[in-house]
This record gives sequence, structure tokens and C-alpha cells, in this order.
Amino acid sequence: MSNINWRTINIDALDPESAYNFDLTTLTPAVQPVSTSDVQTLSGQIRQLVRGGDAEGALRGALENAPYGADDQGKQIHLSTVTEVLGQIRQTEMTPLLQRMYQSEGGSELCDTLMKYLYKGMAQGTSHTTNNSVHGRSMTPQATGFSQAGGRSFGAAEGGGQAMSVFLSWHEKLVEMVGPGSIVRVMSDRRTV
Amino acid sequence: MAAPEVHHLFHAPISDHSFSDDRSTLAVARDNNVELYHRSGKTFNLQDELRGHDKLVTGVDIAPQSGRIVTCSQDRNAYVWEPSESGEWKPTLVLLRINRAATCVRWCPGETKFAVGSGARIIAVCYFEQENDWWVSKHLKKPLRSTVTSVAWHPNSVLLAAGSTDGHARVFSSFIKGTDERPEASPWGERLPFNTVCGEYLNPTAGWVHDVAFAPSGNALAFCSHDSNVTIVYPSGPEQPPQAVISISTQQLPFTSLLWSSETELICAGYDCSVYRLMGDANGWQITGSLEKDNGRPGLEQREESALNMFRSMDLRGRASSADDTKLKTVHQNSINTARIYQESGGNVQKVSTGGVDGRVVVWTL
Repeated sequence: MSNINWRTINIDALDPESAYNFDLTTLTPAVQPVSTSDVQTLSGQIRQLVRGGDAEGALRGALENAPYGADDQGKQIHLSTVTEVLGQIRQTEMTPLLQRMYQSEGGSELCDTLMKYLYKGMAQGTSHTTNNSVHGRSMTPQATGFSQAGGRSFGAAEGGGQAMSVFLSWHEKLVEMVGPGSIVRVMSDRRTV
Repeated sequence: MAAPEVHHLFHAPISDHSFSDDRSTLAVARDNNVELYHRSGKTFNLQDELRGHDKLVTGVDIAPQSGRIVTCSQDRNAYVWEPSESGEWKPTLVLLRINRAATCVRWCPGETKFAVGSGARIIAVCYFEQENDWWVSKHLKKPLRSTVTSVAWHPNSVLLAAGSTDGHARVFSSFIKGTDERPEASPWGERLPFNTVCGEYLNPTAGWVHDVAFAPSGNALAFCSHDSNVTIVYPSGPEQPPQAVISISTQQLPFTSLLWSSETELICAGYDCSVYRLMGDANGWQITGSLEKDNGRPGLEQREESALNMFRSMDLRGRASSADDTKLKTVHQNSINTARIYQESGGNVQKVSTGGVDGRVVVWTL
């Protein structure tokens, strides 16, 4: 006993009442685990819809089936699918499309999910775009140390900024309709995308 | 609709406020003290101060009939204040036995008990023990997993609703032998020993719950949470899934406080600095609008735009508009902490009061 460094003992682990000994996932909404291959199949179907010209149906499908239970890789795949669909829809079509979506059954939830993807997409900066050459370029080490900020401005010149401007214009149109309430929901929701 | 009655008391946040039954006394939690204001004519004047807590006072509640005031604070204590014969307020310490801050306090409708929520994942249900001449508490612990943010009483004084930062709103039994009479059976349950969990509800996003409230009949529960949702639960019977759980996603910032003005109407207020009205029943609810006047700013005179004003403003401030855009368009100039019933008759609430971070207490006519 004498050679145990008692200062490093995690006393929370010894207290049965402590939150440390409690599985917090039991408090959050139950999500179904989704395998990466399922996400891939789904993304294939959605791309099919986009190619068929039904961008609205594709977006709806992507948002209705957001893989909350997938692992990081699965979520990443779905994000790029959603990003692709968003990029396919023209500026002028955004507002009417969002209106139709918002007014439909369960539309508020769909809009919240879309908001989640917009924020996730924006948080990615340019390190995740469908264009692989941009991916490589933005990852070069920055002398300044502000790798994220630097990466963004670099990407902007390459077309990664295009994805960002798509996110921003969607964000503007979406907030106009669903208000700040949706943003707060995205922040407080434990079901992340 | 009459204009709201605005009382700007001071420039400090009001964490909680409570009116006496005759509405002549207003208790306001300000920093470590509770200030008592007395109505004279149209204004409220500072009359007395309840000093005793040494950290921020988080809750204050005046019992309508007995006039006793209960306060709780982040210093982990609660006091019951009673007027002595000399007219001074005398505090009695309550044995809460909690090791974290007390966050909220409410008298039960029967005024024999009160509940104190705390950061120690405990609700202390306090009652008076005759033989020791002392307020003691019994703890509701399970299954709380996080700080209790709000408590609300059922009209039968036994059932207690609590909202918590673990995202759940729960309904407990706080039945205490010797103090309570056996309650009548309700949709929440029939046999109700202490710490029976009669209901546990999670909102869709698991955002933490700001406030809970029972409908006047006690047969429905509403709670608002940090995901800007308001959820209304209609129970069907003991041990059965509820008859309806209605969740409304609002476009506003989250509500921090809500109350039922009738069986079919809710009044909500919060970070939007404004008071909203919701209407509905077991078939569905919707937000029907704000209590604010639509145009202009109530309580502030609109200055007439003139060329002279425009040039004067450009000269003084470098802006063409004379509008002072540091002022919000709402009556409250910061978020609202609590909304409470001010006046009711026959089960219908006619006036509500709100207290906010801006140091204002506003009385709204519905």
C-alpha cells in the first residue's frame, strides 16, 4: 500500500453514488446502431435520386435517414452525401424547397437535421470536400500555427470555399424560416450527425 | 388588452420573485438578499430586506395563506421567514442536508411542505416537525442523475414535478406520513408512497429542462427545455404509457419559465425576452403569439422623425437614425427568469408577472 501514489487515485471511481460510475448513455435518446455498409448503401440510393433529377427527394431521404447510430466513418460518408445533394440545388430553389419541407409532416425535425449538417459541414472547413486534391492541399502544415484558419483561406481559392458558400447560403435561408430555435436545438441535441 | 405594468426595481438580475396573496408585497431575490417591496399607488417601494444567505439567492416563494416566505440559496441553505411581533422578519434554518447549491424552492398548495431542488441531484421535501420545532427534510434521490432546475406542485400537494439537467422531467410522490392526507387517485397513480416515480419524460433531443408545471386540474404536465421545445404530457393511468405526449419545436430561443393560465393555455417566457402564449389540448398545441404589442415599444415614447432630428443625430452620433438600437423592442431588456401567476379567479389566470435579468418585474394582462 505504501508505494501507491494516493494523489492519483480516482476517488470518483470509489464512490458508488458518483456520476463517474453511471452510464450516461441511458439518459440520452436511444439511437439504433447503423453499420458503415448500410450508410454506403443509403448514400448510393440518394445519389441515384440526385442523378434522376429529384434533388428534393434525395435531400429528404438523406435527412430522414440520418445515421445517428453510425460510427465516425459512417457519419462522415453521410455528411459528404448531404453536402453533395445541397450543392446540386440552385439558390433560387432553396427557399421554396425549404418551405415545402418545413410545412410537411415532421418538417421541423427535418429542418433541425439539415441545420445539424450545415454546422457539421462548416466545422469541417475544407478538410472534407469531395475534391481530393483540395483535401491534400489544405492539410499542409502552416507556419503560423493557425492551421484551421489558414486551411480555410487556402481552400477558398481551390473550391473548398464553394462548399462553404453553399452551407452559408443554406444556413441563411434556413434560419429565416426556423428562427434561432433550430440553432439552439442543434447545440443541445445529443443525437449528433 | 391593457399595457403591461413595468416596475424597474434595480440594475441587477432577479433570479426569482414572488407576490403575496393580496399583491401588495413583492419579494425579489437580489444577489445574497431578498428584498421586500411594498406597493404604494402605482409603484413598489423597498420596505425590508431579508439578510441571512451568504451566496446568491436562487429561489423565493411566499405562501399565499400563511404569508411565510421561504428562500433558498447557493450557500446550500434554505430559510423560512416569519414576521415576529415587533414586525421584523425572523428566519428559521431548514435542515436540507445537501452538499451542493439549492436551485429552486416552492411551497406546496397546502403550505405544509415545500420542495427544494439542488445541484446534489436531490430534491429535499421539507416539512415542519412539531416535537422538535424544526423544519426537516426528506430526500427524493432516485432516479435523478443531475442538477434539479425546477420543481412544481400538483394541486393535491403530494405529487411533485421536477425538471433536471439530465433532460428528464419527472413526477414524484412526496407523501409524508403525518403531514399529508392520503391523496385521491389520479391518472398519475393510486398508491403513492414517498419517492414513487409516477412519470419520467425525456424530450426528443434530451436538452436540459428549464421549468415544469402542472395544469390547474393536475391532469397534465408541461415542461420547457433548452432545445426550444415545449412538451405537454397527458397521462392515461398508473403504470401506463401516457395518452399523449405533445412536443412543440418553437422558432424562439429557449423558454426558461412556463405556467398554465387555463387548461388549454400556457404562458412561456425565456431567453427571447418576451412572453408567449401557447394554446391547445390533448390533440395538439401551437404557439399563438406574443403578449408584446406588435408595433413600437410599449412604455417608451416613439420620437417623431424629423429632418432636424436626423441632422442632429448625424451630428451627435454619426448615424442618420435617431433610433437607439441598444434598446430591445421587448418590454424586458434581457432574458426572463421566472413567470408567475399574479391574479386569477375561478381557475383562469388574468394576470401574470415576469422577472428578468434586467431587474424588471412586469405584470401582464392576458
